[in-house]
Amino acid sequence: MSSGLPQQRWASWSAYALVGAGALVMLAPFYFMFVFATQSRTEIFNLPPPLWFGDDLQANLAILTERLPFWRNLGWSLYVALASTALTLLFCSLGGYAFALMEFRFKGPLFALVMATLLLPSFMNMIPTFMIMDALGWIDEHRALYIPGAASAFGIFLMRQFATSAVPRELIEAARMDGCGEFGIYWRVVLPLLRPAMGTLGLVTFIASWNNFIGPLIVLRSMEQYTLPLALRSLQSPVNTEWGALMAGSAIATLPLLVLFVLSSRQLIAGLTAGAVK
Amino acid sequence: MRWPARLRLSPRWAPYVFVSPFVVLFAVFGVFPLGFSLWLAFHSWEPTSGLDAMTFVGLGNFTFALQDAWFWKSLGNTLWLALATGVPQHLVAIPLAVFIHTRVHLLRDAVVGAYFLPYITSTVAIAIMFSSLFSTDYGLINAGLGAAFGTTPIDWLGQPENVKPAVAFIVFWRYLGFNVVLYLAALQTIPKDLYEAASLDGASPWRQFLHITLPGLMPMIYFGVTLSVIGGLQLFEEPFILTGGKGGPDQAAMTAAVYLYRMAFDFNDFGGASAMSWLLFALVAAMTWATNRAFRRRRSTR
Amino acid sequence: MNRRFLDRSRRRVLRAGLAGALPAMLAAPGRSSAASRSAPSVRLVVAAYPLLDAIVRETLPRWRELHPGVEVQIVSRQYADHHTAMTTALSTSVRLPDVMALEASYVGRFAHGRGLDDLLQPPFSAGAHRAQWVPYAVEQAINRRGELVAAPTDIGPGTLLVRTDLLQRAKVDEGELTANWTSFVAAGARIKAATGASLVSNAQTVKDIVIRSGLQPGEGLYYGADGQVRVQSERFRLAFELAREVRRQRLDARVNAWSNEWAEAFRRGALATELSGAWMAGQLANWVAPGTKGLWRAAPLPASTYVGYGGSYYAIPRQSDPSRKALAWDLIRLLTLDRQRQLEAFRTQDAFPALQAAQDDPFFDEPLPFLGGQPARRLWRDSARRIVARPPHKQDTFADEVVGTELDNVLDRGKSIEAALADAARLLARRANR
Repeated sequence: MSSGLPQQRWASWSAYALVGAGALVMLAPFYFMFVFATQSRTEIFNLPPPLWFGDDLQANLAILTERLPFWRNLGWSLYVALASTALTLLFCSLGGYAFALMEFRFKGPLFALVMATLLLPSFMNMIPTFMIMDALGWIDEHRALYIPGAASAFGIFLMRQFATSAVPRELIEAARMDGCGEFGIYWRVVLPLLRPAMGTLGLVTFIASWNNFIGPLIVLRSMEQYTLPLALRSLQSPVNTEWGALMAGSAIATLPLLVLFVLSSRQLIAGLTAGAVK
Repeated sequence: MRWPARLRLSPRWAPYVFVSPFVVLFAVFGVFPLGFSLWLAFHSWEPTSGLDAMTFVGLGNFTFALQDAWFWKSLGNTLWLALATGVPQHLVAIPLAVFIHTRVHLLRDAVVGAYFLPYITSTVAIAIMFSSLFSTDYGLINAGLGAAFGTTPIDWLGQPENVKPAVAFIVFWRYLGFNVVLYLAALQTIPKDLYEAASLDGASPWRQFLHITLPGLMPMIYFGVTLSVIGGLQLFEEPFILTGGKGGPDQAAMTAAVYLYRMAFDFNDFGGASAMSWLLFALVAAMTWATNRAFRRRRSTR
Repeated sequence: MNRRFLDRSRRRVLRAGLAGALPAMLAAPGRSSAASRSAPSVRLVVAAYPLLDAIVRETLPRWRELHPGVEVQIVSRQYADHHTAMTTALSTSVRLPDVMALEASYVGRFAHGRGLDDLLQPPFSAGAHRAQWVPYAVEQAINRRGELVAAPTDIGPGTLLVRTDLLQRAKVDEGELTANWTSFVAAGARIKAATGASLVSNAQTVKDIVIRSGLQPGEGLYYGADGQVRVQSERFRLAFELAREVRRQRLDARVNAWSNEWAEAFRRGALATELSGAWMAGQLANWVAPGTKGLWRAAPLPASTYVGYGGSYYAIPRQSDPSRKALAWDLIRLLTLDRQRQLEAFRTQDAFPALQAAQDDPFFDEPLPFLGGQPARRLWRDSARRIVARPPHKQDTFADEVVGTELDNVLDRGKSIEAALADAARLLARRANR
């Protein structure tokens, strides 16, 4: 591949350098987030901004935990994200399998309707969602966050695409002839084949739920129930934002996602193959 | 586990049972808001007066929207940003993915991870970091540009001409990795022997790319471009947070979605906002359909 | 392959387990609040944003003395999110707080709907207390139907903060800055020549003040009492001309408030004045430019203009639970009419009292170290009493932006003032009745 020709070698090295530089550009804002997390508010607003870590991390964490029930909010974020992921995976895999490999009335129009909702901005739902949540008595409860999300249009789209290509009909027929019940087919035949897409959907759902703040804004009312993005936003006031604490909180908020990503990056790549092969 | 024959799901009813959890949730949480917003588009509503303050105005909101200078401005901004973010993303992601796929073996996971990381950042953190980085006199972006090209400091966030590229850069930064991952995945499905055969025939790397890689990537390009079209036309978070919810000087970064939000919550005009969101919907649907047709033709001629 | 499957199902079981365990963990401490929820005492819900939430919290001990057994729950959200949530709650008349905090710029928007109770009516009868508050603050919460929709709690009297050291170097007297706008600009030129510092942070701040000068009582800022657009009137023309002159002579630093450059400009002594609310002195002292302590003085705004910058109110939603409205009003009265509470809020959170009685206190004569020992609160008190209220209009927010954008066009892109104002007027006219 990289031959002995100096020209080619140089081109090769500069390509590597470019890609490496690009990676650094991608990472730079993160670096600064962690640096700012250790600086005080006045120092962050210095120009030029601080380039290396400071010593205000303790102070920032103190402000954070004093102003917010921070760890509790973190716990709620984790709970909601996990519940959301589990439910979404369940409902979308069931539904996606049905849309892909089964026949039923209104299948076409229903799918089109679901896809149509992808085209509307989500905050237009705020007021009707609020009305529904109140009617159900779910205001200030976390159910209101993870249950509606389980009907994810993106999720069912991904699952249907993947199921169409990854699950052979013959396998299902064979299982059926072997006497396997419908649910058994789903659980034992289809689900293992859907694994890569589940990894992808799980990751995407977790991230979306973790960073979501419009949903919690509508339905949560007490500070003790807040999820992280909402709690962190409450540190921002028009004139008196605690930037250092805010950055520390944001940095901590990013850590679980980083961990999750490192653990599941392989799954992600495998899962996204699905969407390609239509 | 084997259920007794009576309880076992028959293949006839199974689809309905399997699809019902999703459909029930969708009907309650998806369809109702959809219908509500459609209803609202034909009414004038002062939200703080409560639900019974809606008055029917027929097509009044739609005509207002179509004659509103800001609405057209926001549509223009949206199209500009959608193109400026969508095109470079795919133009860069494909070669980058090919490069990583063929040449990067040692630190592949780390490199891919680095490019994917921006996708998972929270918007609050992005807002603060980029406001600092884009700062005119002392932000690091201007410092870097000055050191590399000797340019004078650019007022990124204060001048309408500069805000758009700034927002475009942030969107590009955020989603490049996502597309790289998509293309990497697709590259793995192209059989290696096609390349070997081509090399034996004496085809140059460039020709191999053109005639093997690109066609092989076509389905994934279709998927990725569709997502970019839909996402680009609905761009909300990045322009919103970077301009503090206002849309920037001369509303230069006010996309249609940002304007909708402002109509609803800053100007308290929910009827108008709903009408505009349906007009935006029509636009996105049209563009998605156009993308679909473009790719279908491409694929059918293969 | 099999092992991988187990991994997946194991992970799902783990997730389900966590999903079950976490709420048990998290709900446990919460039980105490749930328990109190079922207690027979009454509970008032107050929705607020920082720093009003801190003020309400500080008031709770006194409240408990007056109303033992009435619990107060404070729901605090970020400033913009709070108002969005209030809009949502009012729109569905559901889950409304008993007391709703509103910032001055939102009161106008909320005043036009029918979502807030008229505090002049019984059982509130705020008319009896009206004279106790600073006049303009009250009038800004009165809508076109003559209803008082919210009670003022704090105000932001406009002030001119000056760097005396820079003035001394340029041999400019403070009086020259405040006499009239012409001398303000002339002094600015001299300051620039002598010290290199800009006069103002942005020409837009000058425009903001001048358009608010010369208002007739009853006349709105952008729309007249008759709903006609007023942006082509004399005060707008003057404002635009003045701003253009400031920009032409390079007297403004072209920085936006609260940006990094703005803060840095203060720290480096690159700004000679700041036109803002009195609370800005506190912000500068606390974190923007604490190093410049002692170098600033406060003065009235130029050309005897009296303008307010922000302020906070408390309102009662019309559809809130009627059984608690009397208590809600009691709490509001405690927060806004109690001299001690108003002074306390001023001391701890720098919330300038809207209650006139609270303004007669030795606290106002105290020297402010940031301002080199100047007892500036007296000055601000006097300024506050001379501010003329202007009736709010629903499209004021929109108008702010349109006029600001047109001014940018005049300043940066050489658009003529007549054309700019005409374009602005056209845009505003289309929305006058929405």
